[in-house]
Amino acid sequence: MIGERELCALFAPLQVTTLRHWVDLGFVRPADAAPAFDEADVARVRLICDLHYEIRIEEDALPVVLSLLDQVYDLRRQLGQLLAAVAEQPTEVRARLQLAIAGRQESTDHDA
Amino acid sequence: MADPYQELGVSRDASADAIRKAYRRLAKKHHPDLNPGDKAAEAKFKEIQGAYDILGEEAKRKRFDAGEIDATGAETGPSQAERDYYRRHAEQGGRDFRYQRAGAGGPDTGGFGEADLSGVFEDLFGERAARGQARGPRRGGDVSYTLTVDFADAVKGATKRVAMADGKTLDLNIPAGLQDGQVLRLRSQGRPGSEGAPAGDALVEIQVAPHPQVRRDGQDLRSALPVTLGEALGGGTVTAETLWGPVKLKIPKGANSGTVLRLRGKGVPAPKGSDGPAGDHFVELQVVLPEEPDETLVKAVTDWEAAHPYRPEGSQGVRQ
Repeated sequence: MIGERELCALFAPLQVTTLRHWVDLGFVRPADAAPAFDEADVARVRLICDLHYEIRIEEDALPVVLSLLDQVYDLRRQLGQLLAAVAEQPTEVRARLQLAIAGRQESTDHDA
Repeated sequence: MADPYQELGVSRDASADAIRKAYRRLAKKHHPDLNPGDKAAEAKFKEIQGAYDILGEEAKRKRFDAGEIDATGAETGPSQAERDYYRRHAEQGGRDFRYQRAGAGGPDTGGFGEADLSGVFEDLFGERAARGQARGPRRGGDVSYTLTVDFADAVKGATKRVAMADGKTLDLNIPAGLQDGQVLRLRSQGRPGSEGAPAGDALVEIQVAPHPQVRRDGQDLRSALPVTLGEALGGGTVTAETLWGPVKLKIPKGANSGTVLRLRGKGVPAPKGSDGPAGDHFVELQVVLPEEPDETLVKAVTDWEAAHPYRPEGSQGVRQ
C-alpha cells in the first residue's frame, strides 16, 4: 500500500489535487480510506493516466469510458467463472452445452 | 525492435505534432486495458511506447537519427520496466472487487443475450476439452450443430443447405418424418484428424419448429377445423388444409364441436424401409357462431330452445 504522494510520484505529471479529484469522482476507490492505494488502485491510476494524458480523453468523457470498461471487465470476470465451472463438468455436460450454444448461434444467424 | 518510424507509421521528416498524433491513435487502438481479450496487445503497445519514447523527445530523436542510439537504445530506461496492467486485476478480482459497476455482479447474472462469444466457447470446447488426450494420430473430434427445420419439412422431408463451422456448405437431406430432437450424423464432416487419421463427424440435432395450426401425434397429425353453424347442423363439403395440400372433406349432418374426422394417409409418411401405411391427419371440428348474430338467428334459436330445452354436459363447471 502506498500513499497519495508516492502514487503521484509514479505518474508524472499527475498532481495530488488531480488524484483527489478522481477519488471524489469515484474513478479511483482507495483500498484504505487513509487514503492508501493497493496494486489494483495503482494499476487503475496508471490506466486513467494513460487515458487522460496519453490518449487525451477529456475528464468529462472519462466516466463514460471507465463505466464501459468496468462493464466489460465485469462480464469477462463472470464469463471466466462460468467457463471455469463448465470446464470442471463431465464431457457429456459440456457436449450438451456446446449443442445448446450452437443452436442459439444458428437461430441468431437466421434472424440476421 | 523495428524502426520506430515504421512502428508509428510516420515518415522520417514527420513533425513532432504528427508523431504525437500517430502515437495517440495507435495507443488508443492497442492499449492492453482497452483490449482485455487480446494477448498480443501488450507486446504491440510496448513497441509503440518504445518507438514514441525515442521519437517523442526532440533530443532522443536527434540521437537516433544520427545513429547514436539504436531502436532498442531507449528500452533500458525505467519507463520500460514490466508494466502491471489494470486488466490483470480487473479480470482476477473476486466477488468483492472494488471496481465493479454498480448493479452488476452478484447472483443475478443469467443470460448473456445475443453477444457473440463464440471465440470463448471454441476455446473452452475445443482447446481445453481436447487437452489431456494422448498424442499420435487420432480421429478428429465430432462437431455438434443444431438446425431448426420447418414443421412441414420435417414431416415431408427436405434438403437443407447448411453452413458448416469451417465455412463449407453442405446439402443436408432431412428424411421424411424426422422427429424433434433427432440427431443426424454426417460422416467425416467434423474436425480433421491428426497425422492422417480420419476426420470426426458432424452431429446435427434437429429442432422442429412448431406449426401454428398442426401438431404431431406419433405418425398422425392433428388440427382444428372451424365450421359454420349451418355446416355443423346440415352437413356439407368444406376444404381442409393439410401439409399435402387442400383436401375436400364431407361434414356429416349433425356434426358438433369436438367431432373428429379422419383424412386418411395425410399424416406422416411411413418410415423408409417399412411397408406400413402413412399416418392420418385428424381434424377436430369447431363450430363457430357468426361474429355478430343478427336478430332473426337469435330469435329462431331462443324460440327453438324454449320449446326444446337442453343442458350440455359439463356446463355446471368442473367439480374439484
